[in-house]
Amino acid sequence: MADLLETGSNWLQGQRKKHATREVTYRQGVNSAPVQATVGRTVFEQDDGSGVIVRTEIRDYLIDAVDLVLGGQAVLPERGDRIEETNGGKKYAYEVMPLGSEPHWRYSDPYRKTLRIHTKHIATEDA
Amino acid sequence: MSLIVDVAEALVVELNAGSFSQTLSAQRHYVPSFELPDMANLHVSVVPKGMAITNSDRNRNSHDVQIDVAVQKKFEAGDAAEIDPLMDLVEEIADFFRLRRLSSYPNAHWIKTEHKPIYAQEHWDELRQFTSVLTFTFRVVR
Repeated sequence: MADLLETGSNWLQGQRKKHATREVTYRQGVNSAPVQATVGRTVFEQDDGSGVIVRTEIRDYLIDAVDLVLGGQAVLPERGDRIEETNGGKKYAYEVMPLGSEPHWRYSDPYRKTLRIHTKHIATEDA
Repeated sequence: MSLIVDVAEALVVELNAGSFSQTLSAQRHYVPSFELPDMANLHVSVVPKGMAITNSDRNRNSHDVQIDVAVQKKFEAGDAAEIDPLMDLVEEIADFFRLRRLSSYPNAHWIKTEHKPIYAQEHWDELRQFTSVLTFTFRVVR
C-alpha cells in the first residue's frame, strides 16, 4: 500500500517547485549549474563573546535533491559553496554555512526529496 | 577625552603608522559591528575594554587600561595559505606593542598582552571568517 504521507509530501514539493521557485546558480568549486530554488529569508546577528559583532542576512534555499547535479554528478552541499541570485541588475552571492547548531544543510522532508541549504549573504555586485 | 579613549586612540595612531606584512587601517570603535559582505577586506578594530585603578603612591593612582585589538577577515578556503598570513599579522601586532611606550600618549606603557581567542571558532564555523583578538594592558600613573 502506498504511503499516503509520502505521496502528499511529494505532491506538495512538486507544487512548491512549480509555483514558488526561481532560477539561481549553484557553484561548488569549479562547477556550477542553474537550479530551481525556493527562497526563504531571515535576519541574523552574531556576537563572538569578545564584543565583535558581525551581522549577516541568512537565506535558506530549498532545492530538489535530484536537481543538484554538478559536473555530471549528483552532489550534496558543502561548506563554502556559493548560490548566486540575479535581481534588478545586481548579482547577490550567498555562501553555504552552518546556522547555529544546525549543519549547513539538511533534508527538509522525511523522504529526502528536498534539500534545505543554509546560506549567508557575502557579496553584491553588478550583474 | 577620557583616559581609556586616549589610550585607545594612541593605539590606533601607532598601528596606522606601523609597518606590518599587510597594509592595515585600524579604527577605534565602542562596539565594532560589521556586515559580513564587508569582511572580505581586512578589519583591525581597537576597542576600549576595561580599566583597573589601584593606589600608586600618596598622590597618584595606577590605571591599568585594557584595550582589545581585533583582526578580522572573511576567508575563502580557510587553508594554511590563507590563514597563516593573518596569524603572522596578529603576532606582528602583539610584538609591535611589547615593551612599548605609546608615542602619542607617553604616559602609557605596556604591561602585558593576552591573545584570546587566538581565533574565534564560532566565526570560523558559522561565518567562515577569521577573528583574532589581542588584549593589551597599558599602565598610566597619574
